[in-house]
Amino acid sequence: MIYKMHQKKVKKYIEKIKEILFLNSLNNFLIILLIFTICIFSLQSFSSVIFNSKWSVVTTNIPLFAFGTFPSDQSWRPIIWIVSLLLTSVLSIIPPKWKWLRKNLLFAWMGMIPLGIFLLYGGLGLQTVMSRNFGGLTLTIFLTVCSSMFALPLGIGLAFCRQSSLFVVKKLSSIYIDTMRAIPLIAVLFFGQLLIPLFLPLGLEIDRVWRAIFAFTLFVSAYIAEDIRGGLQAIPNTQIESAKSLGLNQLQIIKFILIPQSLRIALPALTNQVIGLFQNTSLMSILGLVEFLGIGRSILANPKFIGQYIEVYIWLASVYWIICTILALMAKYLEKRLKIA
Amino acid sequence: MYKLLSGIAFLSLLITGCSNSYQKETSRLDLIKERGELICGVSGKIPGFSFLGIDGKYRGLDVDICKSFAAGILGDSYKIQYRPLTAAERFTAIKTGEIDILSRNTTFTLSRDSSGGNGLSFAPVVFYDGQGLMVKKESNISSIEDLKNKSICVGSGTTTEQNINDVFESNSLPYTPIKYQDLNQVIAGYLQGRCSAMTSDRSQLAAARSGFKIPENHIILRNVLSKEPLSPASDGADNKLADALRWIIFTLITAEEEGITKENIDERLKLAKNNPQLKSLRRFLGVDGGLGEKIGLRNDFTVNVIKATGNYGEIYKRNLGEDSDVPIPRELNQLFKNGGLHFSPPFN
Repeated sequence: MIYKMHQKKVKKYIEKIKEILFLNSLNNFLIILLIFTICIFSLQSFSSVIFNSKWSVVTTNIPLFAFGTFPSDQSWRPIIWIVSLLLTSVLSIIPPKWKWLRKNLLFAWMGMIPLGIFLLYGGLGLQTVMSRNFGGLTLTIFLTVCSSMFALPLGIGLAFCRQSSLFVVKKLSSIYIDTMRAIPLIAVLFFGQLLIPLFLPLGLEIDRVWRAIFAFTLFVSAYIAEDIRGGLQAIPNTQIESAKSLGLNQLQIIKFILIPQSLRIALPALTNQVIGLFQNTSLMSILGLVEFLGIGRSILANPKFIGQYIEVYIWLASVYWIICTILALMAKYLEKRLKIA
Repeated sequence: MYKLLSGIAFLSLLITGCSNSYQKETSRLDLIKERGELICGVSGKIPGFSFLGIDGKYRGLDVDICKSFAAGILGDSYKIQYRPLTAAERFTAIKTGEIDILSRNTTFTLSRDSSGGNGLSFAPVVFYDGQGLMVKKESNISSIEDLKNKSICVGSGTTTEQNINDVFESNSLPYTPIKYQDLNQVIAGYLQGRCSAMTSDRSQLAAARSGFKIPENHIILRNVLSKEPLSPASDGADNKLADALRWIIFTLITAEEEGITKENIDERLKLAKNNPQLKSLRRFLGVDGGLGEKIGLRNDFTVNVIKATGNYGEIYKRNLGEDSDVPIPRELNQLFKNGGLHFSPPFN
């Protein structure tokens, strides 16, 4: 029975495809020609990639790509952190039945950064690992998660400041946002890596990873602020007026009316920011951090793997693609769910 | 408002006050000993000189030089932090104190050495290099003149770009430079046929060629476009550290001159201890003379250095020798007595 229904469905799909693609003979001809050309083209360009490439450069270096030079007997630490990140994101998207967990998800997210710092840097009973040993995908994820989690509250704050009725606050935040949006990201990153240490007194030194997170946070928060402002402006003024008439104070209005709605409206734009940030972390590879792209480039300098660019870059691109697609799908699901609610 | 302004003024005073109190005249050498760890800036992306092995450890000639510094200063060649640096960052990293020493294929030039320029202090040269050109064999190019009106792949922002321009301009040969951000991209561009020749230091050309599918199809032209003596560097204001680095490099060279290797160092040390008449060997190995103390190191620092990495010849052979993955003929990098340029002043 089920099988028959299934068959019917398949038939319907095939008919639909036929309807779309093979409408008349001219169309048929054009489509077949097109498919033929694409096939020839891809055979020409990809056959060498598929048949001549040696994937050992990727397979033997998987630990390096994943954790960089993190001590190999400690690699369970980044794994635990990434798994707990995944778990929290899944729990946020598919809300669990237990109410207490749902209520405390925000705290779980806030705990991710301290947990990450504890697991990666060590201390308190764990072997300490210097940040110079962070690398590969772990570092990319660490940069992305930390910068986006710092940038979100900062961005929300900036957005509210820009809407504020206090002249100084309003002007200062809009000057900040506009300046940050007028500077290219790479300039901000260079500032973070090259100029911050020059300004600091001798002997005081901020970790390079944190300098990068600092620069990313400054940059992304300006963009997030603008996204949130878009969300805020979409909320009709009447809602605020009615909330006031109900006797809610300013904080309550922000907490119960403005933030939830503006975040929901800004969600697609925020997803964009996170995906953009994730990819932009690869810029750090030209500033001396061996994140995912950087470790790929370091491995290419190993005399054993010289010249195997195609394999390494295809591998890098596909991992970036997979992660970004997962992020996008998660955001899509979340959007759907929030719309119903 | 007034409060805010005075607060800002106070804070800025505090910060400048801090920075003044920090700038005491302590040598970096003491700082390294206190820290118990040497921070060494490397490239991490140059085959044969510094690269990441499969086990996640840095290897190469530049890395071995870092190890001998750590062995000489701290007595332990494993107490090193490596910082991968790009060409653009390297001098800032030294100036700001982020790294103690730079061992990153850096060419010794006047403007980098002078206090009016980058204000570095260079240790003795560890690798004599020169810029060269590599072409495909089938192109029948045999000298610079044949490259007239051709395109050349070059890495931007280094002395390489400047040198090729100088040479072609002074010979009034027109050419098209195709610039890339780093050497690996230059190689990729050359292999994809975007240019008729690629230019870089000859060592790097040789390293790149050894990774090609058929290395014999590419030739390195005989023309040497520039002198590229590659040296480790440290902050120019810090003479104490510079002296220590200088004599650690000379230790490597003297050891090769005297035939002292990683294997026979214990034997030689014993020999020196038992034979008071071997004056110069006793001085070199720190049995007599107290030479190490004069440069702020232990008297037997030479022994530690040789035990850790071997002499210069051993380091060279390990990383760039015929049996290594990146064979580069020694040529200029032979000892002076073998027709090369490496020579050490006496340990007296």
